[in-house]
Amino acid sequence: MTTTLHPTPTTTPPTAVPRNDGFSVVRSDTSLGYNLPQRMGRRLWLPMFAMALTGWAVGFILAIVEAGTDRSDVDDLQTLGHLVPAFMFIGFLGVFAAITFAVARILGEFRKGGGEVQEAAEAPVETLKMPTTAKAMLGFMMMAMMVMAAGIATNFVAAGAFDGTNAADIIDSARYGAVGAGLRRLGVVTYLAGITCGLATIIEVLRFQAIRIREVAASLGQRH
Amino acid sequence: MSRYRTVGLALAVIGLMGATASVIGNFVAGSGIDVDNTYQETLAWTFGLSIFSFGLVKIGIALVLMGIIVVRLWFRVDAIKTSLVSLHGHGGAPGVARGDLKTAWGKATVTDMPPRLLPIHRLARFMWRPMLAMGAMALSTGLVASWVWADKTPGTESFRQAAAFTQGVEFLGETLLLSGIAFLSGTILAGLREGGGEVQSSLGLPVTTLKMPATAKAFVALMMMGMMAGIVQFVLYLGQLTNADDPASFASWANWLGPLRELALGLILAGIALALVTIGNVLAFQFDRVKSLIRTGA
Repeated sequence: MTTTLHPTPTTTPPTAVPRNDGFSVVRSDTSLGYNLPQRMGRRLWLPMFAMALTGWAVGFILAIVEAGTDRSDVDDLQTLGHLVPAFMFIGFLGVFAAITFAVARILGEFRKGGGEVQEAAEAPVETLKMPTTAKAMLGFMMMAMMVMAAGIATNFVAAGAFDGTNAADIIDSARYGAVGAGLRRLGVVTYLAGITCGLATIIEVLRFQAIRIREVAASLGQRH
Repeated sequence: MSRYRTVGLALAVIGLMGATASVIGNFVAGSGIDVDNTYQETLAWTFGLSIFSFGLVKIGIALVLMGIIVVRLWFRVDAIKTSLVSLHGHGGAPGVARGDLKTAWGKATVTDMPPRLLPIHRLARFMWRPMLAMGAMALSTGLVASWVWADKTPGTESFRQAAAFTQGVEFLGETLLLSGIAFLSGTILAGLREGGGEVQSSLGLPVTTLKMPATAKAFVALMMMGMMAGIVQFVLYLGQLTNADDPASFASWANWLGPLRELALGLILAGIALALVTIGNVLAFQFDRVKSLIRTGA
C-alpha cells in the first residue's frame, strides 16, 4: 500500500457539528484520511524499529567487550561504561518511538476507514476531532524523545571527557552516570505515559464509531 | 467513559510521578557525589522506585488494553453486525471463490465458516492474566528488595548481594508485565479475527480472513525470545549473587548482565511494536471489507 504526505482532498471543508453525546466531531462529504501525525506514524515506525535493533546490537557487543576488559584499564572501562547504556537507550528510544508511531498508525486506520465506511453508505462523514488524550500522546512522545536524547548525550559526553586518571575524574564520571541514568529513565516513563494516552484514544474512537455506524444504519434504513 | 481507561490513565500519572521522584533522587546524587560519599544508597532506592514506576505505567497500559478487549472491541463487532443487516448492498457482485487470494494487506483465505483461532491466539487469551499477576508480584518484591539494598553499607558483600537480587527480580517483573501486554495484543488480534468472521458469517456470506502476516510471526518470535532472555537474566543474577565475595568478578558479570536484561525487555517491546503494526493492517483490511459489503454486498 502506498502512503502519501498530501492530505486527502474533500469537496467541502469539514465543519464542526454539535452532538448531544459529548463527542466533538467534524462533518465532511468524504473521508478525511490520515492526519499529519498519522502519516508520520505510517512512514516512520519502520526506520525507528530498525534504529532500535541497531542500537541494541551495538550496545550488547560493547557490553561484551567491557566485560572482557582488564579491570585495571580504568580509561577503557570508564568509556565503555558510558557508551553501553548510550547505545542500549538509542535502542529504547527507537522502539518506544516505533510503538508510538504504530499506535498513531492504528488511529489513522480508524480515521480513514471509519470515514470511508460512512462515505460508502452515502451518509455524511463524521470524524472525531483529535481527542485530548491523542494530543497528550504527541506531547509526551516529543518530551520523552528529547529527555531520553539528553540522557544519551550525557553519556556520550562523559565517554569522551573522562579517562579515569585521577580521583576527581572518576567522581565526575560517576556524577554524569547518575544524571544520565535519571534522564534516560524519565524518558522511558514519559514514553510509556504517551503510549497509555494513545491506547486510551483508541477506546474513545471505538466507542464513537460503534455509535456512529448504528446512527448511519438507523438514518438510512433498509437500502434495498 | 470506560473505567479501564480511567484507571489506566490514573496509574500512568502515578507512575510518572514515582519515576520523576526517582529522577530527582538521581540528580541529587549526581550533584553530591564526592570522595567521601558515593551516594550508592540513594542510587539503590531510585533504581527500585523508577523500575517499579515503569511497572505501574505498564499495568496502566494493560488495563487500557483490557478495556479495548473486554468492552469496546465486541461493541464494535455487534454494532457493525447489526448495522450491516440494513446497510449491506445487493449489487449482484460475482460470488467469491473459496481458497486463497491476495489483497492489498497480504494473503487472505476465503472459507464458508469463520476460521478457528490459531494456537497462539488461544495461548494469548490464557496467558495474559497470569503474566500480569506474576509481573506485579515480582516488581513489588523488587521494590522492597531495593529498600533493603539501600540500607546496606556500600562496598560490602551484602550490598552487592542485595544489588544483584533487586536488579534480577525487578527486570523479571518488567519482563512478565511486558509479556502480559504482548499477550493482550495477541488477544486483540484474536478478537479481530473472530469478530471479522462473525460479522461476515452473520450475513450469510463467505468469510474472508487475512492469513497470519510476517509481522505477526516476527511478533511471536521476538516476544518468546525476550521472555526467555528475561527469565535467563534473573537466573544469571542469582549466579552473580553467589559471586558477591569477589568484587572484580561481580563487576564483570554486571557489565553484560545490565545490557542483557535491557535486551530482554527490548525484544518484547519490539514484538509489541510489530503486533500493533499487524493490528493496524488487520483494521485497514476489515474497513475495506465493510466498505465492499456496503457497496457490492460481497
